Amino acid sequence: MKKNDVIMIAVIVVIALGAFAGINLYGEHNTKDAQAVVTIDGKEYGSYPLAEDTIVKIESENGGFNLLVIEDGAASVEEASCPDKICVRHKPIDKTGETLVCLPNKVVVEIENGEAAEVDASTN
Amino acid sequence: MKINMKRKYQASILVIVAAVFAGLLFYQGKGSSKIERYEAQFTDVFDTVTQIIGYAESEEAFTKQISELKEQFDYYNQLYDIYHDYEGVNNIKTINDNAGKEPVTVAPEIIDLLKLGKEAYEKTNGEVNIAYGSVLRLWHDYRESGTQDPENAALPPMEELESRAVHTDIDNLIIDEEASTVYLADPEMSLDVGSIGKGYAVQQVAEYAKEHGMEHLLISGGGNICVVGAREDGEAWRVGIQNPDLSSEEAYVERVQLQDMSIVTSGNYQRYYEVDGKQYCHIIDKDTMMPAEHMASVSVIMQDSGEADAMSTALFNMEYEEGKSFVESMEGVEAMWILNDGTIKYSSGFSKYLVQ
Amino acid sequence: MAKKTANMGMLVALAFIFSYIESLIPISVGIPGIKLGLANMVVIVTLYLMGAGPAFMLSLVRIVLTGFTFGNLAMMMYSLAGGMLSMLVMVIARKTKLFSVTGVSVLGAVFHNVGQIIMAALVVENSSLFYYLPVLLVSGVVFGIIIGVVGSVLIKRLSRKR
Repeated sequence: MKKNDVIMIAVIVVIALGAFAGINLYGEHNTKDAQAVVTIDGKEYGSYPLAEDTIVKIESENGGFNLLVIEDGAASVEEASCPDKICVRHKPIDKTGETLVCLPNKVVVEIENGEAAEVDASTN
Repeated sequence: MKINMKRKYQASILVIVAAVFAGLLFYQGKGSSKIERYEAQFTDVFDTVTQIIGYAESEEAFTKQISELKEQFDYYNQLYDIYHDYEGVNNIKTINDNAGKEPVTVAPEIIDLLKLGKEAYEKTNGEVNIAYGSVLRLWHDYRESGTQDPENAALPPMEELESRAVHTDIDNLIIDEEASTVYLADPEMSLDVGSIGKGYAVQQVAEYAKEHGMEHLLISGGGNICVVGAREDGEAWRVGIQNPDLSSEEAYVERVQLQDMSIVTSGNYQRYYEVDGKQYCHIIDKDTMMPAEHMASVSVIMQDSGEADAMSTALFNMEYEEGKSFVESMEGVEAMWILNDGTIKYSSGFSKYLVQ
Repeated sequence: MAKKTANMGMLVALAFIFSYIESLIPISVGIPGIKLGLANMVVIVTLYLMGAGPAFMLSLVRIVLTGFTFGNLAMMMYSLAGGMLSMLVMVIARKTKLFSVTGVSVLGAVFHNVGQIIMAALVVENSSLFYYLPVLLVSGVVFGIIIGVVGSVLIKRLSRKR
């Protein structure tokens, strides 16, 4: 091997390491694009990035509400006007396709562009 | 000569580069008509969330498919409704309203469902009884007012349950297939198809989809899941079985993979109300006329979603041991139980569906 | 000319066999595209002994043949993109006389992977494939050195015979 070979190889390895670091940064950035999409009776109400901690009061036409809280990259419903409170008891969601559902208010919160989900659907 | 050769090689290199670009363009062109995965949800049928996952060439194409399937769902939802009237439609409520009065002419989809209901009654020794409406109605009303007003939540009085339970003989459900009519011979009785209607409808919509060329589809009617074929990438559909402990970090206790199969779960954690700090779920055991308390949930895998729906209700009303030997005595039925203490039990053939 | 044709035939056959051997020993690390590149050894030897043109032809014929025999059209497109880019880079690298056979081989291996990944990203329309890039760069370096060292020995011996 010539000296030039060694230099060239070193350059490639450095590029590889740089790309690796860059991808890791980009990867983090990527999950920042994850959104909690809220629909009421099938109509889109709004979408909120999981990267920003927020509290949204989702008000439905029947006068009910669900308090959507986004914290630590996951969405959950902290409070709701519905009687059964199934949505409130549900664990926070952060994976693509996971949903929080409040049937009485016809509110569905779904994650889009998040981490890949491990299943297509769930039975309950 | 040498220069000539060089030219030749240069020419061939040009040809190669051109070929690569042509190939690229060809692939790009193909890429634009690529099949993509889409998901749709609606909340207005069967009082639950209906979810459909499918594949189409474009969002418009998928929306078109979904609206076709939605139309089907709406149709079945109206037919199997026991609480609402729809103009120009004779549904289950119409049958109930005419109990003891006169036979009602109904669509063949109702006849088929009721026949399935009778079959399920026989197969499950009465654990699934679509003629149990009068008792279920009472529970329904107490549950509704109990959730609206938790302070005053109460249990239905036993005498009333008992007096209503007299009017639940499925033999008084008289189906005349020739005339396409249904008649309830006992004026006090009523039908409630909650234990089979949703599953049956999901199956029918799946059949409709198959007939209309949809080869890769997942339909979930509130967790009653029926999958058509496999996923478009050739992998089996993956379905998580909900952890009864909803606040747990683990959303699913198990994951199964399915192809042209159905899975239905009956659980005590989705629809219930509390009286004096105790939870009462929506599935009522005919032996006690009280909510079944044998387990947290049971999931059934069968080919037909309607039968699976009936089977999961039946198993939820049985002790685990009884249900297990019941499942083992039948072909094409596998089940998984989550007992009240969180223990998981499987039927002998269930493991072939588990994601390893 | 006849001798040249015969030589080319032999080399194509050799490259083809190497491709076959390589398909028998899959290096499964869960990342597509990592491979030894035995066929590239033949290409490099050809490049040094017979020149750029024959090497180009050899590489092209080899890819088309193996594509039809062991793979499918999609795989062939990937190989073609990788092989041609790699070839181009190796020819240029050799012309500059900056690098030894090993250096040229490393560049060839690395750009083979780069070419494939660009092609794959275009086909799948998904830039997340570039996640594989660092691994593929390093594997290109490692296997490129191995192939280059063996290749340079071959080149020395073969040119001495002549």
